Amino acid sequence: MSTAPGSARRRLAIATLGVLLLVAMVLAVGLGAVNVSPADTISAIARGIRGEQLVQSDAVIWQLRLPRVLLAALVGSALALAGVLYQALFKNPLADPYILGVSSGAGLGATIAFVAAGTSFASRSFGVPVGAFLGALLTIAFVVRLASRAGRADTVSLLLAGVAISYTLSAVTSFLMVVFRNSMQSVVFWMMGGLTSASWQNVWVVSVMFTIGAVVPIFYARELDIMLLGDERAGQLGVNVERFKIIVLAAASLVVAAAVSVSGLIGFVGLMTPHMARLVLGPDHRLLLPASTLAGAIVMVLADLAARTVLAPVEIPVGIVTAVLGGPFFLWLLVRKERR
Amino acid sequence: MNPVQAPRLAFSAAIVGYGGAPIVRGVDLEVAAGNFVGLVGPNGAGKSTLLRSVTGAADLLSGSVTLDGESVARMSAKERARSVGVVPQTLPVAFAFDGRSFVQMGRHPWLGRLQDLTDEDHDIVEEVMELTDTARFAHERVDTLSGGDLQRLTVAQALAQRPRVLLLDEPTSHLDLNHRLQVLDLVRRLADDGMAVLAVFHDLDIAARYSDRIAVVSDGEMIPARPPERALEASVIESVFGVKAVVRTDPVTGTLAITPVVRRADVERPTRGRVGVVCGTGTGAVLMRSLALRGVSVAAGALNRGDVDQAVAVTLGADHIDLPAFGEMAPEAELAVRQQYAGCSCVIVAPTPFGRANVGNLRAALQSGAPLILMGEMSAERDFSGGRATSLWEQAVDGGAVRVGTDAEALDAALGLLRDGSEE
Repeated sequence: MSTAPGSARRRLAIATLGVLLLVAMVLAVGLGAVNVSPADTISAIARGIRGEQLVQSDAVIWQLRLPRVLLAALVGSALALAGVLYQALFKNPLADPYILGVSSGAGLGATIAFVAAGTSFASRSFGVPVGAFLGALLTIAFVVRLASRAGRADTVSLLLAGVAISYTLSAVTSFLMVVFRNSMQSVVFWMMGGLTSASWQNVWVVSVMFTIGAVVPIFYARELDIMLLGDERAGQLGVNVERFKIIVLAAASLVVAAAVSVSGLIGFVGLMTPHMARLVLGPDHRLLLPASTLAGAIVMVLADLAARTVLAPVEIPVGIVTAVLGGPFFLWLLVRKERR
Repeated sequence: MNPVQAPRLAFSAAIVGYGGAPIVRGVDLEVAAGNFVGLVGPNGAGKSTLLRSVTGAADLLSGSVTLDGESVARMSAKERARSVGVVPQTLPVAFAFDGRSFVQMGRHPWLGRLQDLTDEDHDIVEEVMELTDTARFAHERVDTLSGGDLQRLTVAQALAQRPRVLLLDEPTSHLDLNHRLQVLDLVRRLADDGMAVLAVFHDLDIAARYSDRIAVVSDGEMIPARPPERALEASVIESVFGVKAVVRTDPVTGTLAITPVVRRADVERPTRGRVGVVCGTGTGAVLMRSLALRGVSVAAGALNRGDVDQAVAVTLGADHIDLPAFGEMAPEAELAVRQQYAGCSCVIVAPTPFGRANVGNLRAALQSGAPLILMGEMSAERDFSGGRATSLWEQAVDGGAVRVGTDAEALDAALGLLRDGSEE
């Protein structure tokens, strides 16, 4: 058994990103209205893990900051992972959960659940993710069905159908917000993308959804590479393209639903991070999957840190921060592509 | 080649198409180990559809497609990819894999989930990269390579599958001359070593040169595979492609050479009159073709079989009298030629050499009374008839024949005489 030539590089890249993520998380937990030094942050977390008596400042860290930072990391990972999967599946470096309508579907599902679940905190914590997943799954199933001719879904029709569905579902979501004015304010803020309602319960629900959705693609890393050569070539090289698409789309729907259900619509993370990872590390998915996942977490943790500290005590929805960074990035990508 | 061997790849009463719509019907084709079968036909005839039906990218609506007797429809994608390698026409590559990773993808059907490439896999990848002359691209990004280099890497990728059947869809359309021969010689060698090859070709010469048999796809049907010289008869080329072509054996390769002469549609217009041509050894080919394209019918005199001008006259349907190869003109033949030329507005004497065999054409032209257009000069290098051609030439000059140099000038002069004739 020989070692793949890139495996040392792969380990190094992943270890580096892992360390960066830990540093970012410690910083993010420490910074805020009350600043805690990194050393104190680490000891506070350690005390909590060991089950020792918490001092007063620990409460801020354990009840507010840590779940929020963990959630930011999970959401960033989820969006980046979904971005990698969609970009490979549709061979389009500009594809992400939004273009396909999956985010809007998850958003609508979550909004319906949000309204239906009433004000009970518990039913919202579980109902919203379930609603988001059902919304994402139904949407992608509908989009694929809409784009399919004779059992085959070609990429262009899929993207077009996704964009059309995305607009429709967003309109329905807006309509629901107007009709249910009483709970509108919180929905609006949530849909703009924010992590203000972070709780440990959220963290557990999202962790479970994310883990399931993230394990599946690891088994399909080589297929993801091959899919970049086109559906037909992938079939010629022995990939069962239709089954692969269904499995990967389901996995991606699950992680998108996990992200949307706690943070609403956060754009560009799913687009930016896979790109940056690909630029630096190349297109091999065995490296790209873990690297993008870690990079997405880093980007999101830092974006959320900026969202709650830049204009403190006013908090900016994190979706605005990522859009401010991501919009120009998207344009840069477009221009760069044109010039080449 | 072993004719009794069971076919590797077999289409039987197959109808292939997309959705419910048939594209090609009645496909019966067998490709045995060691066979190289070519598929030719007009654009859109369904050649690629036939290939694609093997890998499930096109639908088999009826009949069967089997690999070593087993239906491909019942195979898993991986199972099929272990038997069948495909080289598509083009492969758009938007992502930056290096050459080696690209070729390694060909090992996918042999690997389990999460399994890394074994030493054997790496050896196979090295070997096919050597074989296709692509080893130097191992660390190059494939999206920076030229179309030809990428195509050879694609061949390497397909060979990395270790297939027993190789399907090629116009594999060399993006390759330069050198790499075209390199790739096809390689595929021919693979066939000689036992690979079953089915290849779609645009270029009929290339198809004839490399294929053991050729099947012609046209009008939603397939003409069963036959040896090239039977599959690509001039009559088949005319009916399938609508092109009148000269089909002969290339003296260098010993395989068929197909020279398209005119599109049938271009010479079907009503005739504008008639011009005689005295030619031979290819001196009249361009003239006859130009005249035919302008709606002029041609009388080409007596020509030896095997002569290029004779082949062109046959292809264009020009009146002429066949002589056996190296045969001389009998008096009856000369009389017939004189009568042909007598019905012409003029006779062009192409710069052909004259010997005993064909000097009769010149005499017939002179005696026919038609106006003569003489190309070039008469000289000792042209006259192998013991001075007879020279004396006939001088008579023609004295008789007021038009003198021209090139084919274009001769054509202009002839068309001028045709116009004068029609105005009278």
